[in-house]
Amino acid sequence: MEKVISLSPVARPAKAEPWKTSSQSRIWQVIFASVTPALLTLGITLAFQIEPPVALLVVFLPIQIISAGALGLKEFGKRGFADAALIVAVVFFATLVLVLLLSVLWSVISFGSKALSLSFISQNNVYISATTSLEYGGIGHALLGTLLIVSLTTVATIPLGLGIAVFLTETRSKARNAIRVLIQAMSGLPSVVAGLFIYSALIVSGVTGYSGLAGSLALLPLMLPTVARIAEEALRLVPAELRNGALALGAPAYRAFFQVTLPAAKSGIITALILGIARIIGETAPLILTASTTNGTTLNMFGAMPSLPYYIYEFLGNGFDTSTQRAWGAALVILILVGILFTIARVLTRKKKPKAKKRKK
Amino acid sequence: MPVKDLSPSLERRKLVTKPFSRADKVFYGITKAASGMAVAIVGLILVFLFASSWPALQAQGIDFITGSTWDSSQDPGVFQLGPMIWGSFLIAFNGVFLAVPMAISIAYLIVFMLSSRMAKIATVLIDLLASTPSIVIGLWGFIVFAPIAAHWAELLNRYLGFLPFFKVETENFLGSPFIAGWITAVMIVPIIASVTREIFSQMDRDLINAGLALGGGRASTFFRIILPTSGGGIVGGTLLGFGRALGETVAILFVLNIVFDYNWFNVTKPEGGSVASMILSKFGEAGPAEIEALLASGLVLFVITLLVNWLAAFIVDKAQPWRK
Repeated sequence: MEKVISLSPVARPAKAEPWKTSSQSRIWQVIFASVTPALLTLGITLAFQIEPPVALLVVFLPIQIISAGALGLKEFGKRGFADAALIVAVVFFATLVLVLLLSVLWSVISFGSKALSLSFISQNNVYISATTSLEYGGIGHALLGTLLIVSLTTVATIPLGLGIAVFLTETRSKARNAIRVLIQAMSGLPSVVAGLFIYSALIVSGVTGYSGLAGSLALLPLMLPTVARIAEEALRLVPAELRNGALALGAPAYRAFFQVTLPAAKSGIITALILGIARIIGETAPLILTASTTNGTTLNMFGAMPSLPYYIYEFLGNGFDTSTQRAWGAALVILILVGILFTIARVLTRKKKPKAKKRKK
Repeated sequence: MPVKDLSPSLERRKLVTKPFSRADKVFYGITKAASGMAVAIVGLILVFLFASSWPALQAQGIDFITGSTWDSSQDPGVFQLGPMIWGSFLIAFNGVFLAVPMAISIAYLIVFMLSSRMAKIATVLIDLLASTPSIVIGLWGFIVFAPIAAHWAELLNRYLGFLPFFKVETENFLGSPFIAGWITAVMIVPIIASVTREIFSQMDRDLINAGLALGGGRASTFFRIILPTSGGGIVGGTLLGFGRALGETVAILFVLNIVFDYNWFNVTKPEGGSVASMILSKFGEAGPAEIEALLASGLVLFVITLLVNWLAAFIVDKAQPWRK
């Protein structure tokens, strides 16, 4: 008998919406597959009195993997199970990081805001002990000291970092790869080693005592790799045609750099500096080893100089409630400074969207 | 009749880019000097630390690295670093073990799963974590996180106490390498994640598409294509994180109970060591002889981290040919 071939179009599901990336029923299935394990876990945990962390690992995760896997198995067959398990694992670990990050931010903001006030930011630490009430004394001296130390480091790092970045992008030297690897390796320099270095080089040998100057020199090897690496990226993004054009017009290489390449990479270079500052603004160990601290406000870079990280270190070590609150307050101020620097860097690196031309009808 | 090739030799004319004007020579000289400074800084660190710690190294001999006594009350003082070096490694292993799955998950999520807007937000969050100073993480770890992690350690001990890793006799769970490992994990996740993300995002999409076209799913694409092709970079990023974890100072200082006794693998035991944190904790009250020993400890730490970081940087550099 001859097979009858139907010429009518292939039957399609009545509610198919091929233009949508996921269908309504799929969304409901995913919601069902993710809500059920949570509810089940809650029930089992309450029924058997299991500790929450244990329940999360031993009850919730297996149930979640089985439930998502079952959905995958139903929809895509055998490979769907492995895919679903992978997605569950990825989301689980990513959520863990998110929770840790939010916990850090939330505790600094909630504890720190209790200590923060105008007098806390402006006053210094003279006549203040670990148990003095929070209305008196503050971090003014430490804030000023941090700003002074960091700005001195920045001033010293700009020519060095920029020079290395230019060396890596504009010359054809054979040493470039070695320098690049060295810079990358330097970015992992332990901060305490940087402090010990300046301590042995300047303080043991008697060139200077504990001083803000020594502190900012100790921060230099920590800031340099960050600045050099990001500035290199920024310089590389400048189209070679621009520079070649300048050279072809007869400009010497240094003018081509200062008048063409540098202005074109301006925002990237500033970003490099800002991220470098954010990297060192909270460094503690080098400053403990080289800058020490004072209670009063000081502008003398050749004498001991207070800093925010040292302030936190000092007051956290005291162990009283008020001293811990002072530490939280100072931590919030550092985090705000980092946040400000970060926002500026983000704004600068945001790609300028070319204005869309209106289409003529 | 064969046509004689009249065109000039196809070999490209050699372009000489040597600077010829004096100003250019100065300009390139400055950049060379700046790069030389980077080399010089690393060299100077070695030289100064070595010179100023030489008496201590000479007095302690090889026991400085292997022995486990640190006593400044004796005369001459006995300074031996063994448990601290191993402790640093134990904490770093712990941190890397916890951080690698988190970092790879985040990188995978950002590159292959999230929409571009969500991916941007996630990147900002990770960068924010990366630039959170270690003293702030230490403060959070000491006050907020350590009690929670101590509870986790207690549960590990209760349910998995038969394993030698989690066996604890005392009632105290604060100050263990387990907690310090978590703290370092929080600090190195962004480092590993950013390297991994960069490698993932530069991957050849054709490979992945070919895998998908052959009927592979997410899982098989991930394990058979993405991981093998980007494995080198992930290993390099992990080593970078490992080097950072070895040198972590203040954050560990607040959460670790430093004891000069080898704790080989018992991570939940409230005894541990860390070279960097030990240096900082002893520095305030140290006499001249002990200061020399601390400088020698710094030298040991520097040599170890330099080797690890150099290897890591080398691998990462090799795994990112597009940066050339």
